[in-house]
Amino acid sequence: MTTTTDPSIFSAPMPIDLGKTKVPIRERLHIPRLGVLAGMVWLIGLSVLTILANYFPAAVPFIRDYDAKVKVDGKVKRYGWGPGWNAWFGTGKSAEDIFAHCIYGAKVTLTIGIGATLVGLIVGGILGVASGYFRGWTDRIGSIFTDCLLSIPPLLLALILILRLDDLKDIYSWLGWLTRTWQITLTLGLIAVAPFARIVRAQTLTLREREFVTAARSLGASRSRIIFRELLPNLVPAMVTVAFTGLGILIAAEAGLAFLGLGVERPHTWGKMIDIARDDIEKAWWATVFPCLMLFLTVLSFNVLGDELARRFDIREAAV
Amino acid sequence: MAGTGKAHLRDDSNVLLRVEDLVVEFPVGRTGLKVNAVSGISLDVLRGETLGLVGESGCGKSTTGRAIMQLRKPEGGSVVFENKELTSMSHGDMREARTRMQMIFQDPISSLNPRRKVRDIVMEPLAIWKRGNSAERNEKVDALLSEVGIDPERAAESQPHQFSGGQCQRISIARSLVLDPTLIICDEPVSALDVSVQAQVLNLLEDLKAKHGLTLIFIAHDLAVVKNISDRIAVMYLGKLCEVAPSDVLYETPAHHYTAVLLNSIPVPDPEVAITKVAIEGEPPSPVLPPAGCRFNPRCPAADDRCRSEEPQLREVGPAHFVACHHPLLGGDAPVAVRTS
Repeated sequence: MTTTTDPSIFSAPMPIDLGKTKVPIRERLHIPRLGVLAGMVWLIGLSVLTILANYFPAAVPFIRDYDAKVKVDGKVKRYGWGPGWNAWFGTGKSAEDIFAHCIYGAKVTLTIGIGATLVGLIVGGILGVASGYFRGWTDRIGSIFTDCLLSIPPLLLALILILRLDDLKDIYSWLGWLTRTWQITLTLGLIAVAPFARIVRAQTLTLREREFVTAARSLGASRSRIIFRELLPNLVPAMVTVAFTGLGILIAAEAGLAFLGLGVERPHTWGKMIDIARDDIEKAWWATVFPCLMLFLTVLSFNVLGDELARRFDIREAAV
Repeated sequence: MAGTGKAHLRDDSNVLLRVEDLVVEFPVGRTGLKVNAVSGISLDVLRGETLGLVGESGCGKSTTGRAIMQLRKPEGGSVVFENKELTSMSHGDMREARTRMQMIFQDPISSLNPRRKVRDIVMEPLAIWKRGNSAERNEKVDALLSEVGIDPERAAESQPHQFSGGQCQRISIARSLVLDPTLIICDEPVSALDVSVQAQVLNLLEDLKAKHGLTLIFIAHDLAVVKNISDRIAVMYLGKLCEVAPSDVLYETPAHHYTAVLLNSIPVPDPEVAITKVAIEGEPPSPVLPPAGCRFNPRCPAADDRCRSEEPQLREVGPAHFVACHHPLLGGDAPVAVRTS
C-alpha cells in the first residue's frame, strides 16, 4: 500500500455546476415564500411608520398627533367615526384616532418586546453556555435557578415584580430611570431567561461532545476560544430562531399585562387600548378589533419569520 | 489472556511515547460502580513506527487514544511523550505538548465545525498558536491542502458539508499536520468511509508519514486495514492487552486465542473457500464487572481454573512476540475447537 496517490484526481472540479442545473427561480434568487414576505413587509412597514411618527411627524402627515381629537361636525364625540377615510381605523372613546394610536403604541410594544428578548437572550445565553459547557456545580446552580423561575407562574411573577419595582423606584432616587417601560422590559426579560437558558444549555451539551470540539481541545485551543469560535457559531441559529418566536410571545405578554392594568400610561400600548375599549365593543367594534389585529399580525409575523430563519439556518449536516 | 505486564516494552532511546499501566475508569451514575474502560495498559512506540491498536467495539481502544492525548485524564498510570510525563503536567504545559501530538477522529464530518470555512478550519491551529504572519499561514495551509488532495481555492469558500466523507477526512489530516507534530493518533480514521475511499486515505497516510517523518498510532477494529499500515500490532480485549507482535508475525502465528478468532473472522472474498467454523460464543462481558483472572476466560476455548483465578502476564513467546495467556497457541497450532455449550 505504498503507491503514491496523485492529488490531482481529488482536486478535480465538481462535475456538476450547481449554477446551471434547473433550480426553481424562487429558490435561486432566495425569494422567500409569500407568508414570509408578508411578515417582513408588515414588520418593516410598522417599524418605519412608528419611527417616522415619533421622530419625523412632518414626513407622515396622515398620522394624526397623539393628542389630536377627531371632530365630527366641529364637535368632539365619543366613538365619532367608524373606520373610513376620515379616521382609517375609526375613533376611540375620547375621539382619538385609533390608527394613530396603534402606530404610537407600536413603539412601546416593540421596544419592550425587543428589549425583553435581548435581556433573556443575553442572560439566558450566558447561563446556558456556562451550564452546558462547564457542567458540574455551575450546571447545578444554573439549573436550580432556571427551574425556580419556571416553577413560578409567570403572570404572578410579573405582577409582583412590577409592583415591587414601582415601590423601589419611589424609595430610591437613583432608580429614577426605572420607568414603567423599563420595569416591564426587565420583568419580561427575566421571565424569558429560563426558556432561553434551557435551550442553549441543551444545545451546548450536544455540541460539546461533538468531535470538532474535541479536535479543538486537542489542538490546544483555550476555553474561551472553544466557546466563542466553536460553540457560539453553532448556537446562533437556534438562538435567533427562539428569539423570534419568543419575541412574539413577549409582545403578547406585554399586551396581557397592559390589559390587566400594568401597562405604560403614555402612549397606550395595544393591550391598553383593547382594555379601554372592550366594554364598548358592541357600540364601536373598531376600537377593540383594530388593536387586536395589530397585535395578531405582529405576533404572527415574528413567528413566521422565526420559522423561516430556522429553515434557512438548517445546513445539511449529512451523516451527523 | 488479556493481562498486564511490561515485558514487551523496549528499552530504547528512540522511544517516542511510552505508556505504562494506563487506567481509565468511568463512574456508573452514583452507584459507586465503574466502567473499567482501560485497565493497566502498557505500550511504547518508537520514532517512525506505526503501532496498530485493534480490538472489538468497546474494548477501550479509543479511550486509550484519548487518554494518551490527556483529553480525558487517566485515573492511573503514566504517559511519557518525548521524555516528558504528561499525566502530571499543568494545563498550560499540556496545551503546549498537544501541538506535538495530534489526533484524527473517526467521524470525518463531525470532526469539522459545520459553520466554518474549510480553509479556516485547517488554519485554526496556526491561529491558536499565533504562528507566522498571514502570508506564511496561507502558504502553509494551501500547501498542505494540495498535499492531501483538496483544492485550496474550493476550501476557501466551502463548508465541510459540501465535501464528501473521504474529503473531510483528508481535511482533518491536513489540520492535524499543520503544527508539524511528531505523533498522530488515528482513531479509526477510515471506518466511516467506504472501501475504495479507505484505500486512498490509507495510502495518503502512508505517504505523509514518510514525507513528514511521523509516528502513528493507528486504532481500528478492522484487522485487514491495520495489517498493511502497522509495523507492530497490539490486540486489546476488555481494557487489557492480549498480544503484541510485529504485524506479519501476528497474522501468521497468532499466539492468543482471541487474536486467532479475530483473524479468523476476516471475511475471505472468495465464495469457493469453505468457512472454517472458528467462532466464539457469547458477547464480551460487561466492563463494569470484568471476570476475574484472564478477562477472556468466559469465552476462551482453552480456559481452565488457572485462567479463572490468575491473571496472565505478557511474556515473550517468539522474537518480539508477546502474549498474555497461560495456554498460548504456539508453533502455528490450529486454533482449538470452539467450546460449545
